[in-house]
Amino acid sequence: MTVAVPPSDDPAQGGVVGISGPSTRVVAQRLAAGGLVAVVLVVVAGLLVGTPGQGVPAATSLAIGAALGVVFARGRFCFFCILRDLIEHRDSAPTYAILAALAVGGVGYAVVFGMFLPDPSTGRLPAQAFIGPVSWVLVAGGLCFGVGMALSGGCISALLYRMGEGYGRAPIGLLGALVGFGLGFLSWQPLYLATIVRAPEMWLPAELGYVGALVVHLGALGVLALLLMRWLPPTRPTETARPTLGAVYRRVFVWRWPALVTGALVGLIGAVAYLRVAPLGVTQQLGTLSRSVMTDAGLIGDRLNGLDAFSGCVAVVGELLVDNGWLVGAMVLGSFGVSIAGGRFRITGVTLRNGTTALLGGVLMGWGAMVALGCTVGTLLSGISAFAIAGWVFGAAVVAGVWLGIRLRLHTI
Amino acid sequence: MILRRPATIVATLALCLTAAAPVAAQSPAASASDAVVSADWLEQHLDDPSVRVLEVSVVPGVYDRGHIPGAVNVAWHTDLVDPVRRDIASGESIQSLLRAAGVNDDSTIVLYGDNNNWFAAWGAWVLDVYGADDVRLLDGGRVKWEADGRPLEVAPPTPAEGSFTAAEADGDLRAFLPEVLAVVEGSDQAQLVDIRGPAEFSGEIFAPEGVQELSIRAGHIPGAINVPWGQNVTEDGTFKSPDDLRALYAAVGIDGSQPIITYCRIGERASLTWFVLHRILGYDAQVYDGSWTEYGNSVGLPVENPAGTVWGGQ
Repeated sequence: MTVAVPPSDDPAQGGVVGISGPSTRVVAQRLAAGGLVAVVLVVVAGLLVGTPGQGVPAATSLAIGAALGVVFARGRFCFFCILRDLIEHRDSAPTYAILAALAVGGVGYAVVFGMFLPDPSTGRLPAQAFIGPVSWVLVAGGLCFGVGMALSGGCISALLYRMGEGYGRAPIGLLGALVGFGLGFLSWQPLYLATIVRAPEMWLPAELGYVGALVVHLGALGVLALLLMRWLPPTRPTETARPTLGAVYRRVFVWRWPALVTGALVGLIGAVAYLRVAPLGVTQQLGTLSRSVMTDAGLIGDRLNGLDAFSGCVAVVGELLVDNGWLVGAMVLGSFGVSIAGGRFRITGVTLRNGTTALLGGVLMGWGAMVALGCTVGTLLSGISAFAIAGWVFGAAVVAGVWLGIRLRLHTI
Repeated sequence: MILRRPATIVATLALCLTAAAPVAAQSPAASASDAVVSADWLEQHLDDPSVRVLEVSVVPGVYDRGHIPGAVNVAWHTDLVDPVRRDIASGESIQSLLRAAGVNDDSTIVLYGDNNNWFAAWGAWVLDVYGADDVRLLDGGRVKWEADGRPLEVAPPTPAEGSFTAAEADGDLRAFLPEVLAVVEGSDQAQLVDIRGPAEFSGEIFAPEGVQELSIRAGHIPGAINVPWGQNVTEDGTFKSPDDLRALYAAVGIDGSQPIITYCRIGERASLTWFVLHRILGYDAQVYDGSWTEYGNSVGLPVENPAGTVWGGQ
């Protein structure tokens, strides 16, 4: 593949088809290559439907993962990058993607909850929603996760989609996360008995009803949106010319998607995922893999007290490949396909130094995600969308951890 | 329910049947159609106000993401059992559960669930214990309904309050440890049916891999006959024909001439075999819901352990 001009997020820079960018032929080749990845995904989904033990949930997970990979990659929905822009560059524009995802996700969850559990005041929690226990362990997990994000250059979901773009540190960071999960499992029992067993699973609708919870949810996001306006950069003039095919190509495959569009799509995918399969999360498969290895090696017991009773993005016992595995795999492929189509795929090398930081950051993130029962996608995104207090607590701790990491210049090591 | 406890009649009938009377062979089949409904039947009766459908599934979220239209969700671990004591739910709880589900005294209750109707059968047994008149299972459960491509809906129904009144618990359907022990010691006559897998029965393993409920002794209750639950159903999860079921149990000496007590590890799969023996074949059968996790953990009771596996041994 020839890439004439370095791809850019910025329309003001190069990568413009028909002007200084790649030729139509190159673009056609890229689109064909990306289309081939899409075909592979469709064929695998079709095969999964007819595979005993997999079926429609696995195929749906695959589709959801692919969609998430595309949206994450095209919208640069990387929690660390977004927070770094805010903290280091005083640019809050990308943050609106997270706010939009939480707003749309909250509305979507409210709609689904209304069907799953019409009366939220019964003391029951809606099936499978990531409503985790709130304790200092959750705060510790979030802080650790945030610092890990700064060290490795992205959270677990970002490493997954960036792996599809050829980011060399990504697989190393994910390997570190597997180790971190293992450390999490080792520390789970004492933490559970010391604190988590008595930690409340706080859920807004149980107190306020769905309408009240949604009002508080959207209100809080609205206040954050207002506060962040002071760091919004000047808006660019909008184009007035009728878009050409080349311009559409750039908008879809080359330039970064607008924050609000990206966020709304992430929120929508989250609600659809919960409606059809399970709340969105990217750590269940990784945790399951890690737990399986640890159990086989005799490092942890068959049972982890309490863990299997929580709804979270947590490891499954006795299985090696779960639906979440199809989601995670498809996420990488989706990102790969769309980055090829946009000419953005490039393999970046790894040095001893940035490989080590990626690994260490991964370990921190793995431990944090394990004890917090999920990462920025499971506990933060799916948790807050489900009106779980644990989601907000984890989110705040992650932001604090990233802030600390950036203050300590961990991301520049 | 006509065949509540007519043990002698049924035994006589069973004897007649083995004497090969083709006309008489039809009559237990009639009882089977009372106990089990086909997916076709249920789909045609979805709008019938006298039919109430309950889903008892084990996997969380299964009901929420799609259930048979009009079906009410029943959580086996809170609705059907006492969450504190090890016991089935009280009559009061079952009464309010069924009333909330719109069940009247003359309703036909159809239960179904995932995992081969295991917990739906448990539910059917609990409802029978509390005197529900017409409790049936959907043949093949959820799996068959889905495999047939039949409709599901997501929104839970909001039935009008029913008038179901729970009766006193029917002790004839439930066996407790002393009754089982009386059988083991020979002071009572009954056939014990162990529906667990052969490796558990023989004591080679304590329980299948991954299960949480364990006994610290391996093996089975002395004198029990091993008929794994899976032999009750065909490949698609539907029950075998009454004739096949009768032959299956007759082959191991169970023909309804003696009372039967079924057990498993925690009681739910034993309910499926109970359903077959009592509801489909009309035999006198009880569930010992304490099952192996009670018996095999009790101090001083005789155990048969052919494999000789020792707890804690290497």
